[in-house]
Amino acid sequence: MRTSLAPAMHAARVLASILLLATTLAPSAALAAEAITNERLLSAQKDAESWLMYGKGYSAWRYSELSEIDTSNVANLVPQWIFQNGVEGKGQTTPLVNDGLMYVTGPSNHAWALDLLTGRPTWHYSSTVPKGAHGCCGQPNRGFAALGDRLFKVNYEGTLVALDAKTGNPLWETFVADYKKGYSATGAPLLVKNMVVVGIAGAEFGTRDFLDAYDIETGKRVWRFWTIPEPGEPGGDTWGADSWQRGGGSTWTTGTYDPDLNLIYWGTGNPGPDMDGDVRPGDNLYSCSIIALDADTGELKWHYQFTPHDVHDWDAVADPVLVDLKIEGKATKAVIQANRNGYFYALDRTNGKFLFARAYTEVDWSDGIGMDGRPILIPGKDPTEEGNKACPGLGGGHNWHPTAYSPQTGLYYFDSRNGCQIYYKTKQGFVEGQWYQASTTDNITSDPATSSILAVDPATGETKWNLELISGSSSGLLATAGGLVFGGDGDGNFMAIDARAGKPLWRFQTGGSVRGSPISYRFRGKQYIAVAAGSALLTFALPE
Amino acid sequence: MSSKRHRDIDEPLAGAVSFSRGTSANGHRKLALRARLFNFIVRVLAAALAFVPLLSIAQQERANPFHGDAEAAEAGRGAFRIYCRPCHGIDAKGGRGPDLTTGNYMAGNRDEDLFVVIAEGVSGTDMAAYEDRLPEETIWSMISYIRMSAIEGETPVTGDPAAGEKLFWEKAQCGNCHRIGGRGGRLGPDLTTVGRSRTPAYLRESMTDPNADFSGGYQTLIVTTLDGGTIEGIEKNYDNFSAQLMDAQENFHSFLSSDVRSIKRELRSLMPAYGGSLSAQEIDDLLAYLAGLGREESQQ
Repeated sequence: MRTSLAPAMHAARVLASILLLATTLAPSAALAAEAITNERLLSAQKDAESWLMYGKGYSAWRYSELSEIDTSNVANLVPQWIFQNGVEGKGQTTPLVNDGLMYVTGPSNHAWALDLLTGRPTWHYSSTVPKGAHGCCGQPNRGFAALGDRLFKVNYEGTLVALDAKTGNPLWETFVADYKKGYSATGAPLLVKNMVVVGIAGAEFGTRDFLDAYDIETGKRVWRFWTIPEPGEPGGDTWGADSWQRGGGSTWTTGTYDPDLNLIYWGTGNPGPDMDGDVRPGDNLYSCSIIALDADTGELKWHYQFTPHDVHDWDAVADPVLVDLKIEGKATKAVIQANRNGYFYALDRTNGKFLFARAYTEVDWSDGIGMDGRPILIPGKDPTEEGNKACPGLGGGHNWHPTAYSPQTGLYYFDSRNGCQIYYKTKQGFVEGQWYQASTTDNITSDPATSSILAVDPATGETKWNLELISGSSSGLLATAGGLVFGGDGDGNFMAIDARAGKPLWRFQTGGSVRGSPISYRFRGKQYIAVAAGSALLTFALPE
Repeated sequence: MSSKRHRDIDEPLAGAVSFSRGTSANGHRKLALRARLFNFIVRVLAAALAFVPLLSIAQQERANPFHGDAEAAEAGRGAFRIYCRPCHGIDAKGGRGPDLTTGNYMAGNRDEDLFVVIAEGVSGTDMAAYEDRLPEETIWSMISYIRMSAIEGETPVTGDPAAGEKLFWEKAQCGNCHRIGGRGGRLGPDLTTVGRSRTPAYLRESMTDPNADFSGGYQTLIVTTLDGGTIEGIEKNYDNFSAQLMDAQENFHSFLSSDVRSIKRELRSLMPAYGGSLSAQEIDDLLAYLAGLGREESQQ
């Protein structure tokens, strides 16, 4: 019996191992078909099925070509699943979607991979934030970058980590900057070629900031561009005495990339200290600017400074969106930005030349932007010891919230806070690692600011519609080929707006402040909208 | 200088930190074990010391290192203007929160007492805990600033609290909208412990000019329905698609914006101003009553 069974057992073993091999090979073969490649990233804007990077594509349009959900049926949109992550803090992430999974980062160094069918997590990554790591505004994280089967995110204390997309296991973790000096990391990295490009925050702590690129395989730094130059370098003479050492110029949001020009565009934050300009005489380059860097070397190709010698904390951190426009009849490769200082700008992205600027909200600090690209200042608007009113307030105008450009309507969508604040200046000594804002602002309670979502013609800066809001938009925006714009407010309303008329067509009370940026993707032939609100991730689709 | 400062962080952690276990060399393990043992002993000693019931030593450890230090006080002023201004005013003279220039504090007048208030907050009031947000040195320097700016005496409250209590429930009808100790209305703020959380100056202003400060809410919403009727009340919520309010009869209303003709928010309190209807003496008496509410308990 034994001898006669042996060949059968052997055959069964062989069969089993063949089956095992087949089952282990099958999914990986499927993954290989759907793996994120540089080619896919270059055409990510057109990839309606997935959402492969922070801004949808390298131009940061946040436009989905899906049109199943449109102005005629969006009123029927219903939740599909909700993932409660249980982590304190408000989610600011832009999820990524590829091959049946959604990759979501949360506050305080958490991240998850969620099953697109059910919303159930397939893995959870977390890493304790060291006590003593602190920034200006909670411990948010704005998302992943991805390539191959790797995900890249920053951890709050100033590291960059690569995760295995299948398991969430860390592959390497690289030190970017020291939280003890006041640095923190919150932005979604940008994946360019074989590098992860990473910004840093800390300008409220008197740090000197930079933009870095790291090798995806080893985590080793490829280049660093200091946004605040040293004496002797170009721009080094725009800082009095040794003030450049505490000059700020954070890079805390995510930039864009033009593969044809091989240029990376990134917005920079305020000079330090925010509101006391006396200690840093000069223009304070390259704070409050867009910098254009050679992608391979990190070398500065051009810069444009929106607010020279800023004293109102008007970071230039809104998305530097790349769009080809016909400006006064001339085809122009433009980079556009709705700046915190109250102006919408268009620049020539090949050389940084100022094209035009137009105020989109109440501005009382300047009388327009001159042909040379410099603001025409109205004197007496700087912060004072007693407090001095200026418009817009500290957060802008338009702050950092991601924006959307629709090639279908030709309009650019962003949110704005319209009003003024009282700005205080306080003489403050510098202590490494400590708050160095010098000093603060107050709302004007008798004349509260209002909020709106705007649709602007990017070729002229003209506002086409203005949806006035009771409570301001707090999320990023998403435009779709269904003629819709999606966004959310601080009171938990997630809404769909008619992209042409500016009227809300649908809303859902999410139960948490909507701070994430909505995305759209297709799963099993059906269009979905997903957004982070409060501590949850919600998805929506049309009913069966 | 700065480029040097950052040279030490150029190397990725990846080279030094391995995520797989059991790869460290034996020698390293022994060193690590020794370090752990040392740490353990230190912790045991520290824990033992923590149980030594010498409160005065603990308190002495909390002495302000910057007491009377003008330079530290100036730094403290900067921090004060950022963190404390919203309630205590840009010059510490009070607002929603107490005037801190009086030199007299409910929690005690030593620097250590103020430290406890700032570090741990005060339950039952709006005073938050700052120990996780600010380093100890910053708190001490703020205390130095507060003490060095404490030059003025608190405006004395001269009225008769018993007369004020009678006014509250009778002539002034405050109890129609305000509640004290479970008695009274619920349209306006509960005043059971208002003497702890608001300054006399703020309370006086609230009686004579109820529209002076809406930072705590209580603005008015006016809803006009489709049939032209209006409903007025205290705002509970007002968002982009709906509004909830409480009317003067304490009825709760909820409206979808799409179901009504208009919703209007006014920075106007439903509370009448009492400067005309009450005499200066009566205002003083009411103030004496309100300023004492909640203070008796906190001094126990």
